[in-house]
Amino acid sequence: MSAQVSEAGALRRLWPFLRPDWWAFVIALALTPAAAGLSLVQPYLLKRAIDDHVVPGVVEGLGALAFMYLGAVLVGYVIEGAYVLSLAWGGQRTILRLRSAVYAQLLSLRQSFLDRQPAGRLMTRATSDVDALGEAFSAGIIAVVLDLLMIVGTLSAMLWLDAGLTVVLLFFSPPLLWILNVVRKRLRVLFLDVREALASVNAFLAERVDGVEVVQLYGHEAEAKRKFDKLNDHFRKVTTHSNYYDAFIYALVDGVSTIGVAIMLWYGSGMAASWGLKLPFGSSVVSAGLLVAFLEYMDRLFRPLRELTGKMAILQRGGAALEKILDLLREGNVVADTGQAAEGLAGHIRMKNVWFRYRPESQDVLKGISLEIRPGEVVAVVGATGSGKTTLMRLLDTSYSGYRGSIRIDDRELRDLRSSDVRRQVAGVRQDPQLFSEAVKFNVDLDNPGINEQIRRESASLVHLDQTVKRIGWDHVLRERGSDLSVGEGQLLTFARAMAHGTEVVILDEATASIDTLTERLVQDALGRIFEQRTVIVVAHRLSTVERADRIVVMDGGRIVEEGSHAELMAIGGAYVRLVQAGEALVA
Amino acid sequence: MRAKPIPRLLRDYSRRYRWSYLSGAIFLLLTNYLTVSIPGEIGHAIDALRAGQSLVRYVAIIAIMGVAIVVVRTLSRILIFNPGRHQEYLIRRDLFAKLMRLQPSFFATTTRGDVVSRASNDVTWVRTLVGFGGLQVLNVAMALSLTGWKMFALSPRLTVAALLPVLGGVVAVQWAIRRVFVLSRTAQEQLGEISEHVLGSLQGIAAIQGFVAERAFVNRFEERNQAWLKTGLQLAMVRAIALPLLVLSGGIAMFALIAVGGPMAIEGCLSVGELAAFAALLTVLLPVLRSMGWMLSVIARGRASLERIFALLDTPEDRPEGEVGFQVAAGRGPAISLRGLEFAYDEKQERPVLNDISIDLPAGVMVGLFGRTGSGKSTLLRILARLHNPLPGMVVIDGEDLLSWDLGPWRKRLAVVPQRPFLFSDTIAANIALEREPDDAEVARAVVAAALKPDLQALPNDLETVVGERGIMLSGGQRQRVALARGLYRDGDLLILDDVLSAVDHATEASLIKSLTELTRGEGGPTVLIASHRLSALRHTDIVVVLDRGRLVDSGPHDELIRRPGIYRDTWLAQQAGAFHSEEAVS
Repeated sequence: MSAQVSEAGALRRLWPFLRPDWWAFVIALALTPAAAGLSLVQPYLLKRAIDDHVVPGVVEGLGALAFMYLGAVLVGYVIEGAYVLSLAWGGQRTILRLRSAVYAQLLSLRQSFLDRQPAGRLMTRATSDVDALGEAFSAGIIAVVLDLLMIVGTLSAMLWLDAGLTVVLLFFSPPLLWILNVVRKRLRVLFLDVREALASVNAFLAERVDGVEVVQLYGHEAEAKRKFDKLNDHFRKVTTHSNYYDAFIYALVDGVSTIGVAIMLWYGSGMAASWGLKLPFGSSVVSAGLLVAFLEYMDRLFRPLRELTGKMAILQRGGAALEKILDLLREGNVVADTGQAAEGLAGHIRMKNVWFRYRPESQDVLKGISLEIRPGEVVAVVGATGSGKTTLMRLLDTSYSGYRGSIRIDDRELRDLRSSDVRRQVAGVRQDPQLFSEAVKFNVDLDNPGINEQIRRESASLVHLDQTVKRIGWDHVLRERGSDLSVGEGQLLTFARAMAHGTEVVILDEATASIDTLTERLVQDALGRIFEQRTVIVVAHRLSTVERADRIVVMDGGRIVEEGSHAELMAIGGAYVRLVQAGEALVA
Repeated sequence: MRAKPIPRLLRDYSRRYRWSYLSGAIFLLLTNYLTVSIPGEIGHAIDALRAGQSLVRYVAIIAIMGVAIVVVRTLSRILIFNPGRHQEYLIRRDLFAKLMRLQPSFFATTTRGDVVSRASNDVTWVRTLVGFGGLQVLNVAMALSLTGWKMFALSPRLTVAALLPVLGGVVAVQWAIRRVFVLSRTAQEQLGEISEHVLGSLQGIAAIQGFVAERAFVNRFEERNQAWLKTGLQLAMVRAIALPLLVLSGGIAMFALIAVGGPMAIEGCLSVGELAAFAALLTVLLPVLRSMGWMLSVIARGRASLERIFALLDTPEDRPEGEVGFQVAAGRGPAISLRGLEFAYDEKQERPVLNDISIDLPAGVMVGLFGRTGSGKSTLLRILARLHNPLPGMVVIDGEDLLSWDLGPWRKRLAVVPQRPFLFSDTIAANIALEREPDDAEVARAVVAAALKPDLQALPNDLETVVGERGIMLSGGQRQRVALARGLYRDGDLLILDDVLSAVDHATEASLIKSLTELTRGEGGPTVLIASHRLSALRHTDIVVVLDRGRLVDSGPHDELIRRPGIYRDTWLAQQAGAFHSEEAVS
């Protein structure tokens, strides 16, 4: 019951994607009776030709029948073509829309959600899942309608031609259907196993290819091969296992149609009657033409049955994919673009007693942070690994939400503001450079219409990226994750991106960790000039990066433990001094 | 001379299943023989019916044949399909083994998505080729020749009339298959681009959302999505026009049967039973023809996939190995001597990444490698790990050319921690040990040495915490230290650390440096190479090598280098400034 309700619900949610091309599906659906009818009339014409002309020896009219047959075949061809085309048109365009929607949804998911999902699995929503659904559209749903029409139509035609013969044939079908059903149920389970086994094989392989250097450098090949072999062998086992059932079910349908012929002859020749079986309807002795027509009809009856296993698999895959896609589209953990417009922020940040935990069941990472940052100020945040610095920054750039307490920007509560407006004015640069396999140019401006070539070039030279650009060129398409740049170059590039976008608030989270000191100095000098009027928050381990800030905030265990200028903090002789001494011990 | 793909497949993979194939083929032949014999029996039965004779014999024969068909067809499908599954397993196994041997130079020219797709999609197509494709080829050949033979025996004239349109249909479909093949390959590639775009977007989501660049990314996605749609619709067009041609030609054949066979039967050249048998034979033949279109496309796709797979298997491995076969005396740090080392990733590049570097590094020393961003530090370290091969004679280890050491044993002596740590989605312990049976005590030691202990306490399951894809559960610094622990677990003779301290705080850095210096102290300790631009990390090394734009500009102990003008001293002063500044404030 519940499954049916959810199917109706699924269809309702799917409807917006189907709607623009509903007529294509209607055409395909409307063509099915014609396609079925034209196919069904052919055996009848054949019967007429044999019984009315060949057997009695009447040549007259045979030609007309032959050409009627030809006509049915030709019109059937045109209709089938139109059917395939309209299905493909509607199906593919629906898939296109669905894929776009899935992608848009992926882009709007909260990072707190995305961080917990393997990217590879999410990617399949927009690729293989959408494809499976597409296949279900073009080869599944309406094709099943056509199959059902064919089965019903064939049975009707057979009943009309000879009810007795048909009933006797049908008498033998329940056991067949029962066996088919049992095997199909078993296969459904096995197909699930097969899919899962294949998914693990592919996932393992993709990961080891990704980390192939580690595998090689650590002589991990043999162990990797052993693990892969286990998965690969398991896949082989489940596939060969499912193959036994698959082979049997196919052969069964094939053989049964032959047994049906034997039954037909047995009944049709009057043998059944002589054995005492006589039905009250239909002729007990059939004509040659009728037998031939029945042979043809049986073929039309069994063809859909034979292909049903395959189609069921396609439909099932499509159904499972649809469920996953709808789940994703329904996922509420998105960056909602609602709330008050927030343009022209000055960047005055006031945090009051901010608490945060990643998940309801986990521990607090931030424990009552209160901090004010005025426009144009440069504030550094320092503290040991795990003190909550990065989390605080993620709240400010709205990557994470769901804080308790209050974060106000220009006296307006952050959670009430329209997220995209905030993000347009608050930019974060992270330690892991986020680079795209696109042109260098695009990696800087991200197609922002407000960034022209001049701004781009200036930003690049300010952060001393021009050496790199000169080497590879603006139009060079980076490899995945920018792996053809060194980590330092990647950081410079993301720096240039932040410069070009010119936001009011800039958050640099360990953004210079892999850049050499001399370059970093130059970049900082440039930043100082550029960001004079802007609010800058710097998170760094290297204290040399930090000491020039207007104010330094020291965090420990999710709390702010000290706050003040470098000199003030040094005078207190607390946590900051300990951090500095740790640094000095290394340098001095 | 390379073998053609299909013969090579048969030789390398299919041959070992020849008995399975052979017995499967025999059962298939039986199946087909039974299938084409039935129409004849039906014909006899109809003629017997018209003559008023008993049909018991025919009914029994046909029923038994039906049962027999179930048995032999099941057997034929199992015996022919299962070798396909086994070969799929073997090919995938070989591909994986090959992939694990290929060098970075290969992965620099091929996208990983492409490689993975070969091992997944292409292998699946090959399995279909050797299973379903193989069965269909045999089946079509047998069914065609057997029905042809039966038909011909009934009436040569009618056979010609009925099969001529069928032949026309088959030829027309040939063209379509080729077109379908080309188009579906394009569609596959476009889908690959879509996948890469989606994956890239997910990995860079922070930047996309952070800079409100969703629109730009959606636009780029739409371009790719539309390109895919265009191919898909073209494909549908060809399918709609061409593939039903086979059914059409079957219908025309039936028309020919009525138009030509009818008058023949009336004239008495053919009995009514024979005409019915002929019709039944056509009914047997048509599904076979229908599947032929599918079969041809399976063969075409399988062949193309096979080419891609073999191309991958044949990729030269760029690691001259075992030719000289020096076995290293393991257990002590090697001496390294660079002799005019030059290196360029790409011959077209104007400036080599490394240029004329010569230096001798004695055994068991701790070497610092300093240079600005992009100066070639990582490349030098990668060459020592032989992720890239130098030219002969340019790198000499313990008096022998690096290239003449066996690669496996050489790598066994190394412990390399790369700049970009890579973690597998496994437990931390498994990531550190990378062995089947990790030595728990050694893991614990490595964890302490890598200053990872405090982090572990904050994680849900300590060492057994699963770190997620690429270690997503951990911070950048934690990933670096897990990778470092992995390196320290190894007890290597040559420890190569590429900028592993960039994401750690000062206290952690101090503790790491302490671990490392302790490691090198004492007889027979490892040789250690540390690349960094944090001089705090380099000042405890025995010798620092300074690179600038791929050239060796200076080398010597830290204390000497800070007294000579140059980038090292400049950096030292810059980094010192902060420290002095703080001292002033304290006092």
